[in-house]
Amino acid sequence: MTVAQIATFALSVLISAAFVLGMVIVVGRALRHARNAARARLAAPGRRALLALAAGDDAPDNLDALVQLDPAVWRAVEPTAVALLGKVRGEAHAALVLAFEQRGMGDRALPELRARGAIRRARAAEVLGNLGRADAVPGLVYLLHDTDRDVRTVAARALGRIGDPAATRALLESLAGRHPVPPQTVADAVMRMGADAQPALAAALDHSADLVRATAVEVLGLIGAITVAPRVITALSDDQSPEVRQRAAAALGRLGTRSALAPLLEAVEPGRPPALRATAARALGDLGAVATAPALGALLSDPEHTVAHAAAYSLLRLGNAGRQVLEHAAGPGPAAGPDPTHTAGSAGDRAAGYAREALARFDLDDQRRTGEVGATVAPPPSPVTDGSGPVIGSAPTAVGGR
Amino acid sequence: MTAILIADDDPDIRDLVSFKLEQAGFEVTAVDNGLAALASARESPPDMIVLDVMMPGMSGIDVCRELRGDPPTATLPIILLTARAQEGDVEVGFGVGADDYVVKPFSPRELVSRVEAVIARMRA
Repeated sequence: MTVAQIATFALSVLISAAFVLGMVIVVGRALRHARNAARARLAAPGRRALLALAAGDDAPDNLDALVQLDPAVWRAVEPTAVALLGKVRGEAHAALVLAFEQRGMGDRALPELRARGAIRRARAAEVLGNLGRADAVPGLVYLLHDTDRDVRTVAARALGRIGDPAATRALLESLAGRHPVPPQTVADAVMRMGADAQPALAAALDHSADLVRATAVEVLGLIGAITVAPRVITALSDDQSPEVRQRAAAALGRLGTRSALAPLLEAVEPGRPPALRATAARALGDLGAVATAPALGALLSDPEHTVAHAAAYSLLRLGNAGRQVLEHAAGPGPAAGPDPTHTAGSAGDRAAGYAREALARFDLDDQRRTGEVGATVAPPPSPVTDGSGPVIGSAPTAVGGR
Repeated sequence: MTAILIADDDPDIRDLVSFKLEQAGFEVTAVDNGLAALASARESPPDMIVLDVMMPGMSGIDVCRELRGDPPTATLPIILLTARAQEGDVEVGFGVGADDYVVKPFSPRELVSRVEAVIARMRA
């Protein structure tokens, strides 16, 4: 066989393979489309009753219609019903839960938590969480250590929806170990537990894993656990992990207690890690105590960009007292003052730059709020010139980000 | 009849909100993305818009900002419907000019109350 014949043969094989592959894709899509259309037709009568029930339509026929749906029709409409459970609250949610329970879905889902397939376990966890079944908590806690990541995540979310504070410790401990649950999911779930979760959260500040302590302290701040403020203050001053101390500073700002003032002022002092100092400066702004204005004003000339920047924006949040400090630091110079990131300038120049930037940003936001902003308004000078960091410093946001 | 435009890429939410608002006596137009919402609002301005925030392509925030920047639609009442419930998210929503902000999971009945309240406020 010549080279030309081999090439011709290879080319025909390739063309045939491409044709077959194309046909498989086209037929596959057509089949999927037909299957979806058939399912939609089958689900149509149930979907109408489902939407009416979820919309809070008081007609009792809707509930009866759903409960008495033919199993095949219910199977077609069930994915929408499960999805809607997580999307509505109030009477609409209660009505859907009633329909699910009357169809026996909760009782059927309980043993499914131990099913062999991960998808079945996750689906059961989702249903039980949406139904708020307290008797599913032990099974869901067990699934927090499932080998499948999605099952663990769904179980944590379900525990949050059920809202039993007894699961708080297990949720926090699921952050550590060989099969961890994502911190954002755990934080969201624990935040739904309410005030009764505070003892377990406070106890978690002594956990050996940094992530558990960091998550616990952040959630304490987010839920406004002011009775635990002394323990958060201890975490700020004594915890070995810089991340935990940083999150403790942010939490104290959110808690807003008077007792947070002194430890936060201590945390902004030179010698501490810059990220901690910046977060503490921002927390002082959250705290809103005008007594901190002089200390924040002194930070405007700090050689650390994130610290000076955070201090300037915190001063804005202190109202007139903070604004006066900023205006004094800005001096009578031009609106576009010296670039504050130029460390070669004097301390006064740097402070003036940060103060003018904050004041300009405030004026711009004010104009936006009042609808007076126009095309002629120039943006304020940005202190970040090298693209090396975020404009608003590096405050810890909700655990894991969004 | 008061006309309301709904934009949400989730067909369940879209159908549910449409159903509830129609039951409450509103004339509803529903679209599944931000660009379609913007086009529909510009072509035939409704009395109110309910916008999902997280939509592919053009978010509800972007649509709100565009509508507010365009004189014919600048004063249209807008409610944002979103799963983003952090303080900063709400602040961004109001910052671009939304009249109200409803967080998912939501109560359909409460949504109708909010719609009626915003419309009443605009007409007062």
